[in-house]
Amino acid sequence: MLLEIQHLTKDYRGGVRANDDISFRLAAGQVLGLFGHNGAGKTTLLNQVVGLTLPTSGSIRIDGRDPVADPAMARRVCSLQPQSQVPLDGVTPRQAIEIVARIRGADRRRARERTDVLLTALDIQQWAGTGAERLSGGVRRLTAFCMAAAEPGRVVMLDEPTNDVDPVRRRLLWSQIRALADAGCAVVVVTHNVVEAERTVDRLVVLDRGRVVADGTPAQLRGDHRERLRLELVAADQAAARQLAAALATDLADADPPVVAGRRVVVAIDAAAAARALAWAQSQRTAGRVDELSVTPISLEDVYLTLVSPEDGHESLAA
Amino acid sequence: MSHWLRSYLLLLRWNLLRLRAVLVSLVAIQTLIAVGVMIGFSFLVAEPDPVTALYLATGAPTIGLITVGMVAAPQLVAQQKAAGTFDYHRAIPVPRLAMLAADATVWVALALPGLIAALGVATLRFDLSLAISPWLVPAVLLVAACSVAIGYGVAYAAKPEVTGAITQAMLLVALMFAPINYPAEHLPDWLASTHQWLPFTYMAQAIRESVAVPATGVSPVPFAVLAAWCVVGLGATYKIMTRRN
Repeated sequence: MLLEIQHLTKDYRGGVRANDDISFRLAAGQVLGLFGHNGAGKTTLLNQVVGLTLPTSGSIRIDGRDPVADPAMARRVCSLQPQSQVPLDGVTPRQAIEIVARIRGADRRRARERTDVLLTALDIQQWAGTGAERLSGGVRRLTAFCMAAAEPGRVVMLDEPTNDVDPVRRRLLWSQIRALADAGCAVVVVTHNVVEAERTVDRLVVLDRGRVVADGTPAQLRGDHRERLRLELVAADQAAARQLAAALATDLADADPPVVAGRRVVVAIDAAAAARALAWAQSQRTAGRVDELSVTPISLEDVYLTLVSPEDGHESLAA
Repeated sequence: MSHWLRSYLLLLRWNLLRLRAVLVSLVAIQTLIAVGVMIGFSFLVAEPDPVTALYLATGAPTIGLITVGMVAAPQLVAQQKAAGTFDYHRAIPVPRLAMLAADATVWVALALPGLIAALGVATLRFDLSLAISPWLVPAVLLVAACSVAIGYGVAYAAKPEVTGAITQAMLLVALMFAPINYPAEHLPDWLASTHQWLPFTYMAQAIRESVAVPATGVSPVPFAVLAAWCVVGLGATYKIMTRRN
């Protein structure tokens, strides 16, 4: 195992427990998605692995070695794309990527080659020579990714790498994240985008208030919800949506209690009962009470929302 | 060692690229300050005697070096801390002292044109004939390094919002309340004796004696005191840089 974290706990001064008894392992060639609300302890975890923050208890092993005892080793072996902005003042993306690659040990030629490969793969070569002050947030974020990936350590940690990035380049970015793992790195990606990450990550770890509340492959996490579907109806307005939810609760008595959010009514149904539910929904549509309807599998995002403590505005379906 | 040197050179290159846009204006402003301090103070004294002239002529370049190390450098560090780039530097695999050395190199180099200009203008303005000794090189390096070390210590230790105020206060002390532009005898006793423990007196003395060597020769005391301050400043900075919360 390239990265082994056992019973890791971090208390900040003032008594805030940021990480609470976290354990997981990650092998070379794997991408691990690290999920959780803001403040769930994700960045604290990464900072401990790279040797910037001291654990209160528990242990971290990077390729068998201890970053607490040898933080210089941790900085060599791990490359980190931080969540905050990277220092790009006065330099172009190409200069920044090449310098960091060389600082991480690449010779001049390899640094240039890797920079070209990444700039092309992420389709940002047209900004390669542009001063950073004229770059958009997305291009800056992609440049920061390249700085971590040009001469990667054996463990690559990316803290919200897709923020500010447009949808087309997000896809390109995910394929480069996969490529890092295929080249033998162990990759940890912190992200809020469950839907996108699902296609790339081998494993997910979900943190909630500093604790691991789920750890497994996407299929394992969907687990019990495989036989469930999500029926979504859009009514004309909010009052109509409430009436629709009441009708649904009466007519489809075996369905879960529906959730109303604005004009939308969402309910989890058993796949076996889908035909009857769909017929009912279609009859409502014919009667003009429903504008749109859809039936989809319970998504990993729905599962994720059931795992973490509820926040305002989130609906919980897969429970 | 080769890793150290390689890191130092790459960081130096990064620093130069980063400051390229502001380098010319920083050098210009710094030179204006050094020359301006001397000319400005000379208005206070209508007919300066040779001792006063020597203090003004050598105090101004000293103030110039202090401005770079204790004001410009820490303000840039404060900016970096506020922008969050401080942690980025802490997470890349470079020796901490190589990082400090690369920063200090830029600041020392940046202060040199002002120093030369101030000394040049001083010889014309006060009709001085300076006897520059080889001690000037270590004196300038030590004064600059000591200023940067203290400036960085402040910038790393204090919150970014406070750093600006502290550096302004340090400059005010150096300019008005330290025996740099005038002899220590002009100060009240308590302030003069306080300055025996602060670096300002020794900075001025090291520069002054190395461009106008006294009959008794260049005193080693300022060099020793400045080296000690340098170690204290760098030590504090290093400790904060490597601190893990």
